[in-house]
Amino acid sequence: MPDFVMRPLASAGRGTVKTLSSVGRAWILFAGTAGALRHAGIWGPQLVPQLARIGVASVPIALFIATFTGIVMSLQASYTLTGTIPLYFVGVLVGKTMMLELGPVLTGLTLAGRVGANISAELGTMRVTEQVDALETLAYDPLAYLVVPRVIAGIVMFPIVVLLAMTVGIVSGWFTALQLLDMSSPEFVKGLRLLFEPWDVWFAIIKSISFGAVVTGVGCFYGLQTERGAEGVGRSATQTVVIASMIILCLDAFWAATLL
Amino acid sequence: MDRRREIMVGLVVVLGIAVGVVGTIWLQDGWGRDRVSLRAASTSVGQLMEGASVKFRGVAVGRVESVAVVPSGEAVLIDMSVRPDLIIPSDAAVLIAPESMFGDWQAEIIRRGDYDTHPYLEYPGEGVLPAVALPDFSRLTATADEIAQNLTTISERFEVAFTEETAQNLGRAIDNLGEVSDQFSEIIDQQAERFDALAERVDASTQELGAAARAARVSFERVDAIVADGQVQKLFADAGAGVENLRRLTENMDASLTDLQTAARQADATFSRLDALLVALQDEDGSLGRLLADPSLAEGALDAVAQMRDLLLDIQQNPRRYLSFSIF
Repeated sequence: MPDFVMRPLASAGRGTVKTLSSVGRAWILFAGTAGALRHAGIWGPQLVPQLARIGVASVPIALFIATFTGIVMSLQASYTLTGTIPLYFVGVLVGKTMMLELGPVLTGLTLAGRVGANISAELGTMRVTEQVDALETLAYDPLAYLVVPRVIAGIVMFPIVVLLAMTVGIVSGWFTALQLLDMSSPEFVKGLRLLFEPWDVWFAIIKSISFGAVVTGVGCFYGLQTERGAEGVGRSATQTVVIASMIILCLDAFWAATLL
Repeated sequence: MDRRREIMVGLVVVLGIAVGVVGTIWLQDGWGRDRVSLRAASTSVGQLMEGASVKFRGVAVGRVESVAVVPSGEAVLIDMSVRPDLIIPSDAAVLIAPESMFGDWQAEIIRRGDYDTHPYLEYPGEGVLPAVALPDFSRLTATADEIAQNLTTISERFEVAFTEETAQNLGRAIDNLGEVSDQFSEIIDQQAERFDALAERVDASTQELGAAARAARVSFERVDAIVADGQVQKLFADAGAGVENLRRLTENMDASLTDLQTAARQADATFSRLDALLVALQDEDGSLGRLLADPSLAEGALDAVAQMRDLLLDIQQNPRRYLSFSIF
């Protein structure tokens, strides 16, 4: 067979094997992490520091983004609705959008960059510097010590951060409506309450839990797969952000299709 | 350091959970409020949904808790929660209607007497308020669409009926109408002028009538005076005498007519004889006829007349020549 035929076939085969290999390793990691939950004595002391790093440290950037998102939402809603629809629908739009979509997704994407890249770089550095091997030598389960506390921290803290971000986004949109749109508080609150359903909050929490698991899980996966020194660490961080963001958007569509 | 970190994490977690819980309760408009339940039944609820506002006299007093069709399918039950201090009217009913044009509906507690024309559903059960849903906006739209179609049909028929000739006829009719209008205006002007003149005449007549009335009043006053003086009886007596004279005159006239008839008959006989005489003259019969027919006789007669005149003249001048009287 000529080379120009064999080369694309070989490339396609390599890609397929690589993808399936990654999926397999991801499942192995997932199964190992689930199994490592039983080593609470190992991951327990690491949980609070990870909660602080992943959750508390992420609050400022999440609130910053939510603040400006709320402002922009309010202004764009008024720009869209003025003259045709009552202005109290600005409250409807800001509330619904922040709860159902922008709060969880923007926070998830932001934390995919901040938390996911951080985890990937940290674990990748540990991998290339053989600290992970050292843990194994010391009879520490690296999954229990490194992955489980981070994933649990992500699952616990992402909804908290998202709730705070949603609240701040709505409040900033409210403040914008009062200051820039000649709306009154009763008008905005009327719109906010008009189509509100408690399920909207639960929907945001469910999405953010899944986002937290994905961001931390992807970060841990690519971090532990890091090879070839500092270059590999950078590549792992980049891959983590890209893949986590893609999975977040896919999950966003999935939850919208299944839960709404 | 670990202690501080734990506090921070705990603070963020508690804050996040608190924000979620408090925000949800606040947005549900259920923060710290006691509620009492109300139930209403209607044949339809339009687009009323759980969470919709319940209003009384335009003020939000609660929310719709549930909307459910009864198993038999003959009614929809609406459960509402309202403020406990709300005193609803004894004849309360629930009017379900759009709150605005954008899909949000409300249930308003009203006095049934104020909106008694609506077909409320009387559902059996204690405390179940009768309710009625106003037509959905989509129904109004459908009705408007039907009206639009009817208008389209009418328009098409009008286009069919309204040809060029119709337009021309209509134009002529309008022109004629204009002319008629002008003529009518002129007639009105003329009639107005006539009415003015008539009014003036009526005014003058009125004045004359007034004068006549005044004169009549004077006459009546005089008549009254005459009646009062007894002159009427005298007039009646004079009239009776006049009538008697008139009766006599009539009798005389009757007699005269009789005489006149007699004279007429005599004249008639005279004329007959005259006619016979004239016939005789024409026939040259008799002395006079012969006289007329024979000029010599006439001349002889003239001579005789002349001689008679001379004789008479002589007699007058010399009577004694011819007359001699002696008594003895």
